[in-house]
Amino acid sequence: MSRFAADLPVDVVRLRHRAAGMRRYGFGYLLHRYARNRLALVGLWVVLGIVAVALFASWVAPASPIKPDFGNLLRSPSAAHPMGTDDLGRDVLSRVIFGARTALLAGVLSVGIAVLAGLPLGLLSGYYGGRLDDLLMRLTDAMLSFPFLVLALALAAVLGAGLDKALLAIGIVFTPRFIRLARAQVLGEREQNYVEAARAMGVGDGRIIWRHILPNSVSPIVVQASLDMAGAITAEATLSFLGLGTQPPTPSWGSMLNIAQAYLGTAPWMAVWPGLAIFITVLALNLLGDGLREALDPRLR
Amino acid sequence: MKRALWIFILIGALAVTSVSAAPQRGGTLRVGLNADPPNMDPHQSTAAVDRQVFQNLYDKLVDINQNLEIVPMLATSWQITDGGRTYTFKLRQGVVFHDGTPFNADAVKFNFERMLDKSFGSPRFNEVSLVTSVTAVDPYTVRITLEKPYSPFLAVLSDRAGMMVSPAAAQKAGKGLAREPVGTGPYKFVEKRPQERIVLERFDQHWDKNGGFVDRIIYRPFTDENARLANLRAGELDVIDQVAPADIPKLRTDPVLRLLERSGLEWQGMWIMVAGPPFNNKLLRQALNATIDRRTLVNVVFGETAVPANGPFPPALFTYDVPANSRIPERNVDLARQRLRDAGMPNGFSFTLKITPGRVAQQVAQVIQSMAADAGIKVNIEIVEFGAILSQGDAHKFEAILLGWSGRPDPDGNIYGDFITDGGLNFSAYSNPRVDTLLDAARILTTRDQRRRAYGDVMNILNDELPYLFLYWPKQYKVLGPKLQGFVHISDGMMRFRNTWLTP
Repeated sequence: MSRFAADLPVDVVRLRHRAAGMRRYGFGYLLHRYARNRLALVGLWVVLGIVAVALFASWVAPASPIKPDFGNLLRSPSAAHPMGTDDLGRDVLSRVIFGARTALLAGVLSVGIAVLAGLPLGLLSGYYGGRLDDLLMRLTDAMLSFPFLVLALALAAVLGAGLDKALLAIGIVFTPRFIRLARAQVLGEREQNYVEAARAMGVGDGRIIWRHILPNSVSPIVVQASLDMAGAITAEATLSFLGLGTQPPTPSWGSMLNIAQAYLGTAPWMAVWPGLAIFITVLALNLLGDGLREALDPRLR
Repeated sequence: MKRALWIFILIGALAVTSVSAAPQRGGTLRVGLNADPPNMDPHQSTAAVDRQVFQNLYDKLVDINQNLEIVPMLATSWQITDGGRTYTFKLRQGVVFHDGTPFNADAVKFNFERMLDKSFGSPRFNEVSLVTSVTAVDPYTVRITLEKPYSPFLAVLSDRAGMMVSPAAAQKAGKGLAREPVGTGPYKFVEKRPQERIVLERFDQHWDKNGGFVDRIIYRPFTDENARLANLRAGELDVIDQVAPADIPKLRTDPVLRLLERSGLEWQGMWIMVAGPPFNNKLLRQALNATIDRRTLVNVVFGETAVPANGPFPPALFTYDVPANSRIPERNVDLARQRLRDAGMPNGFSFTLKITPGRVAQQVAQVIQSMAADAGIKVNIEIVEFGAILSQGDAHKFEAILLGWSGRPDPDGNIYGDFITDGGLNFSAYSNPRVDTLLDAARILTTRDQRRRAYGDVMNILNDELPYLFLYWPKQYKVLGPKLQGFVHISDGMMRFRNTWLTP
């Protein structure tokens, strides 16, 4: 087991006894612990703000994000267009706002795919071991040995262009991490006394995994998911930047940057705002993830 | 006093011209290309960018000048007899290949046989397939007989099909010639490192003793147009091919770099698949066409770097003034709605427009999308990788594709394969017997007036049936650094460095 420990993005061992902590102190206490970290709090508020903007984009955005205005090409920021207009005369602010939708969709859906696929596989692999475990571990070894962006690019190229396909590709690439993480959790919990006790009482495997091991393994998964969301947003931006993600005219921060490249000298605002949006969102999600990790980690108490 | 001033100006002018008029020997010419040329054998090459390197590695039987007229190169003169079916070339004497093999009528014969060899599978086959025999009349006279008259033949020989490779080297290397090319050009091959550089070196035995001033030529690929221009600005390159439209206005007034502009040979627009829904209905093609404002499209995406188009003949070609080619239709949304009603689709329809990755295609597609939306036509844009889009086009598996053609100096090369029934480039699956007859006739007709009339008739049909929406003709650009002198810019965009030189 130890040879895999280095691969795990979250320190599993340190988080193992978190479940006990949560039960002992409750959700209120965790929130209190989270709030002690000022930066994490800032991260949480920023993420909530971005979620709100994305949800209410149609009300917040001053103009249509996709309708060109050929009389207003490449206008610098002004009262009418606070972030300027792009190569087709569209309001950059509105595109950045609607781009938040694409970004959050990318974060939630692709990490969702990875968790939904990775968690059960990891639980089964860890609990039963044997051939299934060997097979899955070699498979994840193989997938983890590729730089994740290279693998995502290759998958997206095979699946074809489109936001849905890009999110699927990112989800698939993130899956091994969750398999590994869930498996490591199970290996730790499987030999615990409460599991032995349940087994001695004749509780079935399914129930042991679902009711006993899963709740005790969930916190590192939550932390990993929040951090990977930032990674997924960057990955979507990258794929869209390369033309493999969001299809025009749907705004994505990545594809906005792609087009903005050609106008760096003449219309820098086209690049600055989507770039800043990616930066702030990814930073906030990382702060949020770090905050969660600290709040859930019993060693840091 | 006044006279003194004039003399002063005259002396100044003389001084300026003499600086640029006296070619200097030596130096390394560094060229920025837009892609890495994959293949160095003109009889195997399919990538357009290969041709840039070929210009200096190989000589052609004939070349074209700035007016797109055919001029001598390896052939010093020629006669066309037998009603356009026999071409007799007098060859230049004293020419040798880079490997020492002499160039003569037998070498020409060998080259044609190589292109016509079915087992070799040359992409040039279709360009020379009308050749029935090549005879060495004497060591420096070669007679080529065609199955039927083919007026674009000389223009075809001014490109890859006319490039002569060394018979000795080709026999030895076979397809391997793509890695160790041997021609008669002013520069010989030194090395090629994929995605990094191609190096050529002056060939001292080249027949043009008044050329080959530069010692070495280094080609470097830069797929990113910003990086290409930045390298030129930094003095790392002496000339670059292709430049982003957004950079043109600044380059015009640049104190150091020189921007060269010419009408190109290229056309761009939208293939429409006419053999399946929704566009097997001509009315829907006409409706879509009527929504497009070509002038606005060009203004928005290209500024002054392209011209609105309505046909395959850009201003550099002699067929440009065919009315149906050069008259740009006005946008007419009412007409579009009328056509939709006629087709029984008053609320419009939707189709998928496939485009290649890249900024320009995205911009053009989105402009069309917004224009078509005004008549209720919904355009779904799908980005498809270049190789995939070509094969889907070949297989007619699409509704519309945004893709053009790099262009050829003879109008035949800009229209024949694209619209003849089952033509190699006919993505639309378009077939019209009348168009076939006219296109074949234009290959036999010899005077420009006759050919212009034939193409005029073709364009009248194409602009009614619309298997392709011609949208714009891009202009041709080169950007030169301060050192490169004597460069002649030709509409085909090919960079010929035989008579260029570098100032120290």
